[in-house]
Amino acid sequence: MSSTRLDWEEMQTEREQVLQGWPTGNAVRLEEAVAYHRALPVGKRFPQAMRVAQAENLVLLQPRAGVPLIDEHIKLLKYLETEGEADVLPTTIDAYTRQNRYTEAARGIEMSLAERHALLNGFPAVNHGVDGCRKIVESVGRPLQVRHGTPDARLLAEITLAAGFTSFEGGAISYNIPYAKDVPLEKSIRDWRYVDRLAGFYEDQGAAINREPFGPLTGTLIPPCIGNAIGIIEGLLALQQGVKSLTLGYGQGGNLIQDLAAMHALREQAHEYFRAAGFVDFHLTLVFHQWMGGFPEDEAKAFAVIALGAAVAALAKAEKIIVKTPYEALGIPTKEANAQGLRATRQIVTMLQDQVVRTDHEAMRRESDLIKSEVKCLLDAVWQAGEGDWARGVVRAFADGLLDVPFAPSIYNRGRVLPMRDNEGFIRLFRSGALPFSAEIRDYHRERLEERARAERRPVGFQMVTDDIYAISKGRLKGRPR
Amino acid sequence: MTAGPPHCIVLGVIGADCHSVGNTILDAFFTDAGFKVVNLGVMVSQDEFIDAAIESDAKAILVSSLYGHGEIDCAGFRGRCIERGLGGVLLYVGGNLVVGRRPFAEVEAKFKAMGFDRVFPPGVDLDAAAALLRADIEEAAHARA
Repeated sequence: MSSTRLDWEEMQTEREQVLQGWPTGNAVRLEEAVAYHRALPVGKRFPQAMRVAQAENLVLLQPRAGVPLIDEHIKLLKYLETEGEADVLPTTIDAYTRQNRYTEAARGIEMSLAERHALLNGFPAVNHGVDGCRKIVESVGRPLQVRHGTPDARLLAEITLAAGFTSFEGGAISYNIPYAKDVPLEKSIRDWRYVDRLAGFYEDQGAAINREPFGPLTGTLIPPCIGNAIGIIEGLLALQQGVKSLTLGYGQGGNLIQDLAAMHALREQAHEYFRAAGFVDFHLTLVFHQWMGGFPEDEAKAFAVIALGAAVAALAKAEKIIVKTPYEALGIPTKEANAQGLRATRQIVTMLQDQVVRTDHEAMRRESDLIKSEVKCLLDAVWQAGEGDWARGVVRAFADGLLDVPFAPSIYNRGRVLPMRDNEGFIRLFRSGALPFSAEIRDYHRERLEERARAERRPVGFQMVTDDIYAISKGRLKGRPR
Repeated sequence: MTAGPPHCIVLGVIGADCHSVGNTILDAFFTDAGFKVVNLGVMVSQDEFIDAAIESDAKAILVSSLYGHGEIDCAGFRGRCIERGLGGVLLYVGGNLVVGRRPFAEVEAKFKAMGFDRVFPPGVDLDAAAALLRADIEEAAHARA
């Protein structure tokens, strides 16, 4: 296990095997694909859109969307482009494809055709193949990204990149630990090294591809240091394989100061670690995810959650925001609801576009310094565990609980860490498991939680965690005693 | 709390679904409520639910589905239970069971027709669900006696 750059020639044997994983793999033609990318109009290139966003101080709006049938999917994306004014578009992949269960995805397509409504929760891109995916690229006027949750995304990447998608979400940790039950990290690291190397190959050929590690992880009260540390590691692994356009993500936590501090810390430390590793030729941007936890059912309240996220993204100068919908509590939204979330977000980010909130006041600086020192503890431990190799370090760090993602389903995650909000709603650590923090950091978290316990006249305990998880869906930030 | 040994229930998230947060909470809740919980976690197949129920002599199987593929994943579950000699086990299902916004009554009817004893929408009161579960288990025991 190591994170050195894969040799492209050596990778060809593996590519042949991967492309045989489903009959549509045969249609991948790299030379043709590269030529297609190079001929794409500028307005359909994701890395270019991210550059413009940074240069012009814009927050690009991106929805999530994916349905099983090609024509329906195109209709949906065009609607989000016109009625929703989305700047960049997604294709969200269904859950069977994410687990490489293409036979079941095929059945989902057939049943959706027969019953005339969607039976899959996304677009099964591998089953539809290069030509099917290219129809989408041809039909819309915006850059397209593959959004999914696939531990082994090699075939999905081959097909969608060959079709002309210019951005690909995910990473070895962020698309394994929160999205799989029993995929060893050694395997997902190898498989994502392949994906990053493939993206790096396109990049080398003059066909720029944007890569985006999935910042929010399980989307459930993730302490900023855990998401930031994992994002920085996945960024390093991608850069090592030749990726140049990188977007790191952060999921809204809900406390305004903590969210701004975390975004600030993420940008600063990512640059610091990438440069320290010797990378200079890269373009880094940030994506902010509106609240990823449970939403209120009441649409008016859901809009308020969306609006708060939009405000934080704008003030944090995120280059992109992933937008939720007023139907979030009820499952997959209609296209109308999806466009409504986009329009509400647009109003806010535009109003805040030129406003600047100072990040150098005390509360913000204290939180940002705390996050940075926690991230440093985590990354130092991974580096040491890997004896100077990030990939090896990740495997060992998860085994020892030095990295640990709250509420993740993977058996390769220790699952000893439990987060909880403090009295002001900052996400703190109730149980920090084996996370390699100093006594000073642990004590600070404990003190802040004790402060809340006193205010609520109840002991710090698991019930508070449960209350916090459902709090926003019930109309407040912190869970309060019943 | 009833006398005697705790009722055993099997818990899990079906299909290719990896939503693990609610599963963690249901496990903690039903354990606290006095049930013996066999929690299979996420991405559980019909046969894995049934194997666990046979092994643990469980009275009920609680199936969660959050990602919209519930209709495909749950099809034939009751039939499979009968085939495996578990025809009398209580089957509960809950979550975001279908893709898109469809009236809950329609969803409930669909899953009841598949042989589920109770169907729950998102946001159910857990205390009420536990009371129903206890009553259903005891009624089933009486019916057999």
